[in-house]
Amino acid sequence: MSVPWVEKYRPARIQDVAGNDEAKKAFVAWLNKWLAGKPEKKAALLYGPPGTGKTSLVHAAARQYDLELLEANASDVRNSAALERRIWRALTESSLFGKRAKIVLLDEVDGINPREDAGGLAMILKFVENTRYPLVLTANDPWDPKLRTLRDKCLLIRFKPLGIRIITSVLANICRKEGIFCDYQVLRAIAEKCKGDLRAAINDLQAIAFGKKRITLEDLDMLGYRAKQADMFEIVRMVLAARSPEHARSVLSLPSLDYEMLMQWLSENIPHQYAPSLQAIADAYDALSLADIFLQRAKRTNEWSLLSYALNLMTVGVASARDKPKFRFVKYSFPQKIRLLSQTKKYREIRKRIASAIARKCHVSTRTVIRDILPFLFVIYEADAELAEEILKSFDISSKTFKAIIKQ
Amino acid sequence: MSETLWIEKYRPKTLDEMIDQEEVVARLKDFVKEKSLPHLLFAGPPGTGKTTAALCLARELYGEHWRDNILELNASDERGIDVIRRRIKDYARTMPVGEVPFKLIILDEADNMTSDAQQALRRTMELYSRSTRFCLIANYVSKIIEPIQSRCAIFRFQPIPREAVLERLKFIAESENVKITEDGLDVIWEESQGDLRKAINILQAASALDEVVTEDVVYKVLGKITPSEVREMVNLALQGDFLKAREKLRVLLYSYGLSGLDVLKSIYREVMSPKVLSQMPSHMQAELIELIGETNFRIVEGGDDEIQLCALLAKIALKAKGG
Repeated sequence: MSVPWVEKYRPARIQDVAGNDEAKKAFVAWLNKWLAGKPEKKAALLYGPPGTGKTSLVHAAARQYDLELLEANASDVRNSAALERRIWRALTESSLFGKRAKIVLLDEVDGINPREDAGGLAMILKFVENTRYPLVLTANDPWDPKLRTLRDKCLLIRFKPLGIRIITSVLANICRKEGIFCDYQVLRAIAEKCKGDLRAAINDLQAIAFGKKRITLEDLDMLGYRAKQADMFEIVRMVLAARSPEHARSVLSLPSLDYEMLMQWLSENIPHQYAPSLQAIADAYDALSLADIFLQRAKRTNEWSLLSYALNLMTVGVASARDKPKFRFVKYSFPQKIRLLSQTKKYREIRKRIASAIARKCHVSTRTVIRDILPFLFVIYEADAELAEEILKSFDISSKTFKAIIKQ
Repeated sequence: MSETLWIEKYRPKTLDEMIDQEEVVARLKDFVKEKSLPHLLFAGPPGTGKTTAALCLARELYGEHWRDNILELNASDERGIDVIRRRIKDYARTMPVGEVPFKLIILDEADNMTSDAQQALRRTMELYSRSTRFCLIANYVSKIIEPIQSRCAIFRFQPIPREAVLERLKFIAESENVKITEDGLDVIWEESQGDLRKAINILQAASALDEVVTEDVVYKVLGKITPSEVREMVNLALQGDFLKAREKLRVLLYSYGLSGLDVLKSIYREVMSPKVLSQMPSHMQAELIELIGETNFRIVEGGDDEIQLCALLAKIALKAKGG
C-alpha cells in the first residue's frame, strides 16, 4: 500500500471536513477572533472520539488561512527538551517567515500521565498562558479530572461520532476517485462497523480494496481485526464460562468461526479464567491438546470428517474441565504466541540465515545448528569475541549479523 | 591458519582417518576398491561419523572430482518431498564426472521424512538407480520404511567408545596447544558419551574460556549451553505456578528458537536428574515419565508445540500439587 488514504484524502478546505458543522463553526469563529487580535480564550481544546476530524480540521484551517502549522504529540513534547524549546519559541516569537502567522497543534493532551509526568500539564498551561498564536489542543476525554485547570483556560469544542450517512458518502467519494466499483451496501457495512470513526472506516476500505477494482460483500469477511477481536472475547467467554455442553458448542454455529484462532485464544486464556484450579487448567489443556491432534490429522490426511472431533474437543471438551472455579469476570488477552512470533520474526530470520550458513559447511541441518552449535558459539563469543569473529568469518558471517541474535 | 569450528577442522578426510567404526570402514573400503556401490543406509546416534563416512567415501571414490559427483540434501531443511524429488531429478540427469559410472546422493536426516514422503522417495530411487546411488543417513533404522531398508546396505554406527573419544580430544588439544586435565576430559565424556561432535564442541568452547581446560571450566561451559529457563520452567511447574512456567516455555520456543521436541527432551533430562527425582514421591516418578512420553507422541502427531507443552506443564503442576 503506497500512500495511506487517510493522508491522501485529508480534507484541503474547512468545508471538506466531514460532519460536525457546529464544531467547525465554533472553531472558525475562534480563529477569526485570533486573527483580528482579540481572542477570549487563547487556546482551543478540540475533544471527541478518534477519527472524528479534530486534526483534519486544524490542518485544513492552516492551509486555508495560510498559517504555518507546528504539530506535536503532547507526550512527546514532555519527553523531549528540544521539542519543548521549539514549541515555546514558536508560541512566543514572531514567525520566521515575517508576516505569516502560525498555529500550533498539540495532540492528545489527555495522554499525559499526571503521576509519571507531573510537569507535563503545568508545561502545557504555561504554553496556554503565554502563547502569542492560536494554540490548539486535542483530547479524546476532556472530563478527566486532571485536565480541569486546563479546561477552564480553553475554549471547548466538541466533536461527535460521525453518522453512518456521512461516512458512507466520504467512502463513496474515495471509491470514485480511486476508480473502484463498490456497492452502497458494502460501504454502509464498513461505516456501521466503524462506529463513527472515519479514519478506521477509510483504513478498512483501503485494506479491503487493495489490488481490487470491485468490492463485494464477500470481501468484507477480511474486514479489519477491530471487529473480529471484539467478537473473539465473547466467543472465548462462551466456551470457558459455558454452563452446559450446549452452551460451549453453540459457538460452532457462528458463521465464519476461525477455529485455529479460537484455539490460540483459548490456550492464552484458559489459565486466566480457570485459575487457581490446577485441575481445571490441566483438564482444559488436555482437551485442547487432543483438539490440536485431531485438527492436524484432518489436515494431514485430508480426512475432514475428523474436524468435528477437533471442534467438539476445543469447545465441549475444554468446558468439561473438572473442578472449574465459579465464574468471575476476567479480562482476556490477545494470544501472546502470535504477538511473540511477530515480534521475534526478524530475529528468527537472521538466526535462520546464520544457521543455514553454518549448516551447509558443517553438513548438518539448521535445527541441529540452532540446538547443538550456536550455544557453543555464544559461549566462545562471550569469552573471546575476536576468536568468535574469526570463526564466524570462516562461515562468511559478519560479527554484526551475529551480534543481532545474541540474547539481550 | 584462520580459525573455524574444530568439528570441521578436524573432520577426517579419508576413511583411514575415521575414528572407530572399524567394520563399517572396512566394508566401505571394499566398495571403493570395486568402484561399485549399493544404496547405503547409515544409521546411528548423533556424532558417530555417519556424515563424515559418507563424505570420506565420496572423496575416495571420485578423487578430485568428488564435489561434482555428490548431491548433499538434508531432509529437515528441504521444503517437502516434492522439492527433494525435483532436486534429485535435476541432479540425476547429468552424467557423472570421471570413471565411476554413478553419482552419489547423500540424504541426511532421512528419518525425519514422513512415511508417505519415504514412499515417494523410494520410487525416485528406483527411477534413477542406473545413474545414482543413495546414501541415506538416519538416527533410527526403524524410522525408515521397510521397502527402502530392503534396498539398502545398512550400516550401523555405534556410539564411539570412551578411549577413542578421549584419544581424539587429546589429539585436538595438542594440535591446538590447549592444556586439558584428566578430570576435564572425564566431564566432557560424561556429558557427550559417544557423541564426538558434542565432545569437540565442548572442548573448543572450554578452551576459549580458559587456558587450562579443567573440570570447572567444562562445567561452566555446560552451564551456559543449557538455557537456565529449562530448569526454572520445570521448577515453577513443580511448584504449581503454571503461568510463570508458561512464560519460560515461550522464551525457549520463541527467543531461543528451540523446537517443541528439543524443549521436551530438555524437560525430560531435567525431570530425570537425580536432584529433581529425589524430591518426588516415588509413585509420581513413573507418572511423569509417562506424561512426558505421551507428550512426545502428541507433539509428533499434533501441530502446535506450545499447546502440547502447555498441556504437559499444566499436568505436571497438577500432579505436583497432589491432584
